[in-house]
Amino acid sequence: MRDTRRARLVIGVLLAAALILITVDHRAANGTLLAPVRDVASSVFGRVEGATATVTGPITGFFKTISNAPGAERAITALRKENAQLKSDLDAQRLNRDRVMKLDRMLGLAGLGRYRIVPAQVVARRASPGFEDAVEIDIGTGDGVRTDMTVLSGDGLVGRVVHAGPSTSTVVLLTDPALAAGARMEGGNELGVVSGLGEAGGNDNLIKFRMLDSSSPVQVGRRIVSFGSQGSAPYVPGVPIGVIERVDTTPGELTRTAYARPFADFSSIDVVGVVTEAPKRDPRDSVLPPVPKPPASRQAKPAERVPASRAPLAPPADTSQAGPRETDRTAEQPAVAGPAADAQQTEPPRSGHEPREETRPSPTPRAAPGQQGQEAGDRRSQDRGA
Amino acid sequence: MVRNLVAAALIFAALVLQVGLVNRVSPRIGPDLVLLVVLTLAALRGSAVPGAVIGFCGGLAYDLLPPADHALGQWALVMCVLGFLAGRAGGQLPLLVVALCAVIAPGLAAGIGALLGDPGVTWSVVRSAWPKVAVCNLVLAPVVLWAVRAVQPRRRARGSEFVSSYRRGTA
Repeated sequence: MRDTRRARLVIGVLLAAALILITVDHRAANGTLLAPVRDVASSVFGRVEGATATVTGPITGFFKTISNAPGAERAITALRKENAQLKSDLDAQRLNRDRVMKLDRMLGLAGLGRYRIVPAQVVARRASPGFEDAVEIDIGTGDGVRTDMTVLSGDGLVGRVVHAGPSTSTVVLLTDPALAAGARMEGGNELGVVSGLGEAGGNDNLIKFRMLDSSSPVQVGRRIVSFGSQGSAPYVPGVPIGVIERVDTTPGELTRTAYARPFADFSSIDVVGVVTEAPKRDPRDSVLPPVPKPPASRQAKPAERVPASRAPLAPPADTSQAGPRETDRTAEQPAVAGPAADAQQTEPPRSGHEPREETRPSPTPRAAPGQQGQEAGDRRSQDRGA
Repeated sequence: MVRNLVAAALIFAALVLQVGLVNRVSPRIGPDLVLLVVLTLAALRGSAVPGAVIGFCGGLAYDLLPPADHALGQWALVMCVLGFLAGRAGGQLPLLVVALCAVIAPGLAAGIGALLGDPGVTWSVVRSAWPKVAVCNLVLAPVVLWAVRAVQPRRRARGSEFVSSYRRGTA
């Protein structure tokens, strides 16, 4: 087609059409008139453009990768390094958080009982089945630790210091068969001696609780706290020890034996505290954890325990004996928790002929039983001497 | 001399690992690394008196190791006897001897504890704990033997063996 009339006409028409389109599109606000046309075009072309991008994308990416390769290698190693670092940081933080929680709980317990404690970390452990169960902690005489001090964790009694070195000390755990501590049943004055069972304690690290008075009632689910030795060494009073799990009744025996599950977790013992100063006043039951909580978290059968601790109400004769003393004790202490207050009401009935005056704290409260506990605590050394 | 130093280093490492790792990971039942290392050293030494000396020293170190609450010398006695036996019989089949001693050891230690009046040692405890500890020791014995063999300097031992047999041959 040459430069004919026809060609000129076609060009003229096309130019006119373009001009008309421009005019229309320009004049019409927001292109309302031509919007459908634009929509069709955009949908068609857009789809095609998308398709081409997926085809050509890898190719352009490939070339980009090649051009960036040396830097990318470095970036990857740097990221890997950073990742590992962050991971280890996270682990350390998790450990720290765990430790902080334990420390926090322990400080809470110490605050409840008004014990002055020095926190410590377990650095080594020695457990020969049947012989001994001892740990080494990272504080010593330089931190105020002396031999025969009570060691506790956030949950309860852990053991006592048997040897204090300059920067580390040896602690014999409650599960060690050679260890014995005076203990008292919560909410009452029934005394006994707690001693470890070692390997015989089974997976739960059970401990033995020998009641000095075989006629006093013992129920499964009652908690025991430390009774305190004379002069608060080696044991300070009021530290939670454990929950009674099983009671052996052997008729005719002078003492009654019960087995208790300790509050402290002896399978993973980590943060502990050494009590460097005993409280001025016996905290009684105020340090014990609230009643429903520990059974629910520690044991699968709380149903058995709760009724046991809410067992028979005390007879009038008993409250007249125990009532005034207990109430003014609790009144003296603002920190007394709920269970302690209602525990004394649920004190089980006693037989009338029981020698209460001997076991009850008198003006010189812990003379006889304290000595007893101390004797029991020194059982091993006596045995060795003999 | 080097041999003795290496033995001391091995026992030291075993002691630290035992209280720092093994007993912390499994506080109830676990292998007795110190016992195994001491017995292996004695058995590889191959004669009675050095075995007994290794056993005594290793046992004494085990008694002195910090978290301890038993009579000093208890393990020294046990390991001295076992080291003597292992050294005496360990020339030919060290693995068998070490395994045998490792099985006997917990019972022997418990027996001495009972004689000393340790309140924890009762018949039921021994009955339940002895087999478990023995099995742990048995499982670990070949590993320890291999490790000790790998670490110990061998040239000196081979040379002396060679010389003695050579002398025996000529005499």
